[in-house]
Amino acid sequence: MDQARPGRDILDRALRTSWIAALALAAAVAPGRPLDAAAILAGQLLAFLHFIFLRKIVKLFTEGGRDPRLALAIGAKVVLVYGGLAGLITLGGVRYVPLCVGFALPFLTLFLKSIMLALGAGPASLTARRATETARSFGNAAKPAVFLLLLGAATLLAFSALPGAALADEAAHGAPAAQEATATHHAEEGAAELPNWLVILHDFNPGNPLVSWLEKNQVIVFAWIAGLLFLLVSWLAMRKPKMVPGPFQNGVEWMVESMEEVCGGLLGPQIDKHFPLIGALFFYILTINMLGIIPGMKSATSSLDLTLALALITFLYVQFWGIRNLGILGYLDHLAGSPRDAIGWAMLPVMLPVHILGELAKPVSLSCRLFGNIFGEDTLIVVFVGATALLIKASLVALAVPPMAGITALFMMLQTLTSIVQALIFSLLATVYLYMMLPHEAHAHEEAHETH
Amino acid sequence: MLFPAALGLGLPLGIGLAAIGSGIGIGFLGKGAMEAMGRQPEILPKLQVAMIIGFGFAEALTIYAFVTMFFLQGRIG
Repeated sequence: MDQARPGRDILDRALRTSWIAALALAAAVAPGRPLDAAAILAGQLLAFLHFIFLRKIVKLFTEGGRDPRLALAIGAKVVLVYGGLAGLITLGGVRYVPLCVGFALPFLTLFLKSIMLALGAGPASLTARRATETARSFGNAAKPAVFLLLLGAATLLAFSALPGAALADEAAHGAPAAQEATATHHAEEGAAELPNWLVILHDFNPGNPLVSWLEKNQVIVFAWIAGLLFLLVSWLAMRKPKMVPGPFQNGVEWMVESMEEVCGGLLGPQIDKHFPLIGALFFYILTINMLGIIPGMKSATSSLDLTLALALITFLYVQFWGIRNLGILGYLDHLAGSPRDAIGWAMLPVMLPVHILGELAKPVSLSCRLFGNIFGEDTLIVVFVGATALLIKASLVALAVPPMAGITALFMMLQTLTSIVQALIFSLLATVYLYMMLPHEAHAHEEAHETH
Repeated sequence: MLFPAALGLGLPLGIGLAAIGSGIGIGFLGKGAMEAMGRQPEILPKLQVAMIIGFGFAEALTIYAFVTMFFLQGRIG
């Protein structure tokens, strides 16, 4: 019995939180659109009933016996919850979005509460019994993550309210021309990328100069956010370094060390000198790429500006170390393809431009590879979300949402993989370019690499 | 044939052809790496790094086609 209690506690707490959230949301919406507020509350009520009946059914079922109340509860649940939902949608003239938001609230709070409990960050009464010391320290680190998740969910809610707001405006003005204009505007924007929270902020405050500046420079803003996140994680991990590290410090150290091992396998003992840049490139690009998976955020690497800047930094760094290690003459000799015999000198007019072009192609291929991969993944997800939106518009919610959500989730997993692999390729290629520039004994080895 | 029409036809086609080449290259790389892994599982970490770098170089050829597309895309009209 004691083991069952945390589960019931958490359900009660989640339902209570969802009621508070639903009331707040409804109160925020109510002045402008009372119908939507009512829809949110109706959705919340239905989801609440769903959980209440579910608990009853589970209790009756597990206590065994052919209790006639079980059939009664199941029947009541089906009629009240599903029937109510279908009735509201088909008869009531309620808009989907607020109803779905209201219906999703208890699920969302339950999900978040479970995550927090699993990470040991729940209220003391719940965690004290279950969480060990390790889990609790993990939970402290996970709090910012949960906060970010909440922020993403909030922006997602704002986003889903946005089409409703646009529709309401059109209805108020009754101008078909304006309607068409906004429709095409949204369609154009939707084709390119999903709106992030800066775009949404800009839509709500079109006149604010600060907001429009942020919206115009959103790539920089998201790059800053990723950088701050990166700094925060490293600061949290290394704030009080211990000889016997805790789980968080251990994890971060493991990531850094394995990356250093991989690059060190290529570069040899010189890795100590160059790892600060290469490691920072890897983890920074990884953070930026991963940021795009959170709804309402954007991968700054899906813009060529940022990737080109990163590639140029790498290019200048490599050239600098080349000149510094080889000397000016040695560097020119390297660019000329190291001519040692008559044929080498005869080939000089051909080899020099080829090598210079090859050097210049490195930043181009580095930046375009990163940009193309991340942008392609983002576009793929946008296409599926757009298809879902089209089907929802055509009132095919039941048909559209479950498979589309599944496909989108699949592609998000693929995006995670792409993020890691692309960050790895970028930093590994930077290492290889550096390796080609540095002097080493086995010259034949270098020649083999340079044919690329 | 009009220049924009030729461009509109040629750019996607060029990217596709480049992707065929890269795909073949990556396929050969992957095949070789898999066989090597099967024969000598203990060199896995080193092999993986080399394989990923090779993928990067093979992929770069398609990226060049991609860049060309970006240069000429505006002139499709």
